[in-house]
Parts: sequence; structure tokens; C-alpha cells
Amino acid sequence: MSHQGSLPTAGEERARDAFIAGFKQCVVLTPSYIPFGLVCGVAAVQAGLGELGAIALAAFAFAGSSQAVLTQFIASGAPLAIAILSGLVVNLRMAVYSAAISQRISNTTRRERVLWAAFLVDQTFLFDEQRHARGLFKAHPLAFFLGCSAILWPTWIATNTAGAFLGAKLPPTWQLEFTIPLSFIAMVVPLLKSSGQTGAAIAGGAAGALLFALPLKLGLIAACFIGAMVGLVIDALLAMRAVRGGKS
Amino acid sequence: MTSQFWGTPEGWIAIVGLAIGTFLIRYSFIGFFAGKRLPPKFERALQLAVPAIFAAIVVPLVVMNQSQVDLNARWPHMVAALVTGLVAWWRGGMMLPIVAGMSTLYLIEFVFR
Repeated sequence: MSHQGSLPTAGEERARDAFIAGFKQCVVLTPSYIPFGLVCGVAAVQAGLGELGAIALAAFAFAGSSQAVLTQFIASGAPLAIAILSGLVVNLRMAVYSAAISQRISNTTRRERVLWAAFLVDQTFLFDEQRHARGLFKAHPLAFFLGCSAILWPTWIATNTAGAFLGAKLPPTWQLEFTIPLSFIAMVVPLLKSSGQTGAAIAGGAAGALLFALPLKLGLIAACFIGAMVGLVIDALLAMRAVRGGKS
Repeated sequence: MTSQFWGTPEGWIAIVGLAIGTFLIRYSFIGFFAGKRLPPKFERALQLAVPAIFAAIVVPLVVMNQSQVDLNARWPHMVAALVTGLVAWWRGGMMLPIVAGMSTLYLIEFVFR
């Protein structure tokens, strides 16, 4: 079976399938964006960025926690450089996501790498991690990733815009904000395939709670190191036991 | 439009600064190590760092109330998180685990509060 003329078309279709699959999978996350997006929009306007600034911040930073930290520092009268640096420290965890992605993409153009980086947030990263773990859309990972981004990025901008103009007035009993940790749990649990990873998650979770009081969410970075170390130790112990088991 | 709508020059410096800096963090490894193999130990450490970071994000959001661990106020959330985890482990997917967790939370708060 060789229809040379039809091959590119088939390839394009698969890219489109990957895009649509990513889009569909991420639609579920849109409600979880509403409460935090509203709050970030309100905070940006209160910090004096203006409605337009609030929208631009959501669009170009696309990173809720750092937006909240930035606007909080500006509102409290901190020097501009401190406010920006603080927001950036909150986003340092994204370097870990960047490293993970860099190991599974190859033969990319610079434009493709810019697209990977531009839309790299917690949710799009976790969906790609899942896609990778399941071995799906290996030929079109970027299309899948962009499908995910095509729903989440506009949703983030829309919720921030709504917050900037309308304020954040959701009924507190809905607790919609709780869908964020639940969505992370739903995405991470299927990734726990080894004792090392499970140990890393437990250690990271404990460290995250114990070190929560550290400024600028530095507890996250510390928890990341502690969790990875615990995981590596578990790996090493299991390897030692396997060697010993082999000898006896 | 009022001047409030447009924001201030300082505000725009902050917006541009955070946007560019955040992009550089995101681009760091993707830009310079894409397709280049990092040592296997490092790659394994990354694999382990991912669940650690997300657990560190999730646990405080579940067990804390106003920056304090408050099991009295948060036990319904802990049960809900557990239900979401179990459903995710058993069935996978996104919608079902989240709906199961939120339903559990609403049910507990309806019955006990």
C-alpha cells in the first residue's frame, strides 16, 4: 500500500486529531479557572494596572500564582524590581517542566520551541506528561499541546477580564476553587507508576505543607528537590535489593 | 475610557517584566536542551520531581485554611481529595474524578454542616 500523494494528507489529519483531542481533554478544566481568574483580574485592577493591564498580564504572563504575587507586591508599595523578581521566583518550577519537555521533543524548529514554551503552564504540562506516559500522538505532540492551550489560554484571559470589569462575586459555598487541587490529583495519580514516584509524591506533599510558610512559594522548589531525592533513594534501595536477590 | 483603564507606566513595566522573565524560564531547557540527552540520573530526577511538585501544590490547598493546617475545617476536603484520587487511580480520566470529588464535598457539607 503506497499512495504517495495521500501520505501528507494523512499526516495533517493526525495532527488535527491530536489538536482536537488536546482541546477536548482540557475543556473539563475550564470551570477550575473561573475563581482564580476572577481573583487575579480584581487584584490587578486594585494594584493600579488598569483593566487593560489586567488583561495583558493574564495574556502574556499566563501564570496565576505569579500574577497574584506581582499585584500583591505592587499594591503594597514594594519596589517594581522586587515585585517582578518575586513573581518570577514563583514561576521557577516551570524550569522543571521545561526540562521534562526538552527530553521528549527533538528535531524541532525554533518556532516550535517558542510555542512549547509560550503555553507551558501547570495544566498543559501535566496533560503532556500524561500523553507522553501513554505514548499517544507521538508524531504530533505539539498539536496536542496546542489543542490544550487553545482552550485554556483564552479561558484564562476571559476569566481575568471578567474579574477586572465585574469583580469576583461567586457564591462561596460553590467552592469552585477546590477543583484546581482535584484536577491536579486526577492528572498526577495515573502517573505514579513506580515506588520511587509514589515516595517522591508523599515526600513532596509533606514538604509542601511543612514548608508552606516560606516566602514566594519557595517551599515548592524545596519540596521538588526533597521529593526527587527521596525518590532517587528509593530507586537505589530497590536496585540494591534486586542485586542482592539476584546473588542469593 | 478613563485613565484608570489604561493603567500606569510602572504597571506596564511590571507586566512586561513578568511576561518576558516567565517566558525565559519556560524557554530555558526547551530552548537549549531540546533533543539533547541529559544524563539518565537527571532525567529520572525530573520524572520524580513532577509528582513531588504537584503534591506540594495540592496538599496545602487541601488541608489548609487561611495558611494554617486545619483538619477540623478541612476534613471534608481531605475525604473529597481521597475520593478523586481513588477514582483517578481506578478509572483515570478527568471529568469523573473531579465530579466525584466535588460531589463528595457537597454531600459532606450538606449532611454535616
